[in-house]
Amino acid sequence: MNTWEVTTLAERSAEALSSSFWGAAGYLGLAMLGMAGFVAVLGMVLIYAERKVAGHFQCRLGPMRVGWHGTLQTVADTVKLLLKEDIVPYQADKMLHILAPLLMFIGTILVLLVLPFSPIVQVADVNIGVVYITAVSGFSVLGILLGGWSSNNKWSLIGAMRAGAQIISYEVSATLALLVVVLFSGSLQLSEIVRSQAEGWWIWRAHGVGIVAFLIFFIASTAEINRTPFDMPEGESELTAGFHTEYSGLRFAFFFLAEFINMFLVAALTSTLFLGGWMPFHIGGFENFNALMDLIPAGLWFTGKTAFLVFVLMWFRWSFPRLRVDQLMRLEWKILLPIGLVNLFVAAVVVLYGLYFFPVR
Amino acid sequence: MDSVTMDPVKQMEKASQGSPNHAAGKGVIESPEIKRGGFLKNIFTGMISLAKGMKVTFHYFSHPSTVVTQQYPENRDTLKMFDRFRAHLTMAHDEKGQHKCSGCQICQKACPNASISVVNRSNPVTGKKELDRYVWRMDSCTFCNMCVQVCPFGTLKMENQFESSVYDRRLLVYTLNRYAGPTAQVLGKLESDEERTKQMEPRDPYSGPTPMNGQAMAGVAALGEKKGEGESK
Ligand code: SF4
Ligand code: SF4
Repeated sequence: MNTWEVTTLAERSAEALSSSFWGAAGYLGLAMLGMAGFVAVLGMVLIYAERKVAGHFQCRLGPMRVGWHGTLQTVADTVKLLLKEDIVPYQADKMLHILAPLLMFIGTILVLLVLPFSPIVQVADVNIGVVYITAVSGFSVLGILLGGWSSNNKWSLIGAMRAGAQIISYEVSATLALLVVVLFSGSLQLSEIVRSQAEGWWIWRAHGVGIVAFLIFFIASTAEINRTPFDMPEGESELTAGFHTEYSGLRFAFFFLAEFINMFLVAALTSTLFLGGWMPFHIGGFENFNALMDLIPAGLWFTGKTAFLVFVLMWFRWSFPRLRVDQLMRLEWKILLPIGLVNLFVAAVVVLYGLYFFPVR
Repeated sequence: MDSVTMDPVKQMEKASQGSPNHAAGKGVIESPEIKRGGFLKNIFTGMISLAKGMKVTFHYFSHPSTVVTQQYPENRDTLKMFDRFRAHLTMAHDEKGQHKCSGCQICQKACPNASISVVNRSNPVTGKKELDRYVWRMDSCTFCNMCVQVCPFGTLKMENQFESSVYDRRLLVYTLNRYAGPTAQVLGKLESDEERTKQMEPRDPYSGPTPMNGQAMAGVAALGEKKGEGESK
């Protein structure tokens, strides 16, 4: 049976350091370039996909003019955004105004660093990966808050405050759901969590607790990245454009890009924690079936699961109406949080007393 | 059922319904999740209705035939416009080229934008009132269809032909009737076709009294130079 050895770029770089400095530097450079290119291309692909999917959900075609079926539309839009005038409002806090999009983007990139794309594609494998992710994803809300604050605009400020309240609330539920997986896999390391799902994914192997945790995590993270139906911070019908009302040109592009990469991150994290990440579809005990599934490369499994969840996120966005602010708070504090707590308790009991129907390890 | 056999919760509910305290609580938002048994029910009904919504949107997503977008310049040859589409006011002329407009000016009065002016004249032979020019200003028309609906003779109709862009807005002022003269009904009473054509003085779309004045413009084909030529269609 496959042992799923994980090698990260950081490890390879450390290995190369013992023989030559330039080899190590080469690996690091490769990682940085790869990340930058990946983020740019992924952003464009996601924006194109979003517009196409949105179009077809609404009996439209989406972009059709630039390139074959509008495939070059996002490239053209990006070029337009880069060439646009960058306006900083009068009496805005200039430094914070410039800093905000970068902070939001940094949060996104930092999460991307520990994401296990496949056994051989991962930049760094932090042994407290789950804690790390919950910590650094807070950067994006800092970016939103600063952006709204520094814009000297009431809509921006209201949007930013809403984002703050929303993310602080929903982070609780997301973390509670995440802890269920940590309990079952017994590790905080992302690659270890993925490897612990070799017999089956946590979403169904965790006795129903898994599927509740999956739903809570998915809903709460959708709220955390401010996507419809939780897009109160932007809420164009109420707040013009919310926290990025006063942003234009390159800095707006950063906000926009970070938003879409965040969507990818939520899908990727959910698939890593609950759907086995790059782990192929396995059923414990069926060796031949598992071997057949292993023929499909691990990276492809990851891409497929993530793409499916991204599609579900888009599906949510183009089906559901936006919540009111009080409804949002009610959903979190009166529904998700109690269920999450009970769920975590049940999961703890199951793990503690070993009430497994089938062996987990 | 008397109150002794009722279980305590129902008793309490019954008591609270009658109490004035409950009436004072009116206007407070009722949240189903804090009612007994309402919590899970609320979640399940919510999820079911969300799933219903997602089913509807997915139906549109998975059926490309529901797409209504037209790829206009590409499908120009096969483009089918809808019957109710309103793009160009026209005066219906029958196969003999006769219309039914009596020049009553009802449409002119009904138009909210004063986009219509009906110019009448006396027939040179009989001296009776008849239509001289039916001038329609497309540049101020909102395509509200009022004129079409009020005409007692059903003379006007809206056409689908929407490619009306021009380089000079004076070209948006049309004369809709193709001849100045009596209505088809009056013409039908005349003896011969010769007499009929004699009473029908040709009118050109761009020969009206307002702004073109029958003149040609630099850079624009001289549409109104010769009478009876250069019709818009
Ligand atoms: S459609 Fe309406 S606005 Fe246009 S000419 Fe007729 S009555 Fe006037
Ligand atoms: S078009 Fe109809 S309403 Fe208008 S003047 Fe002629 S007959 Fe009268």
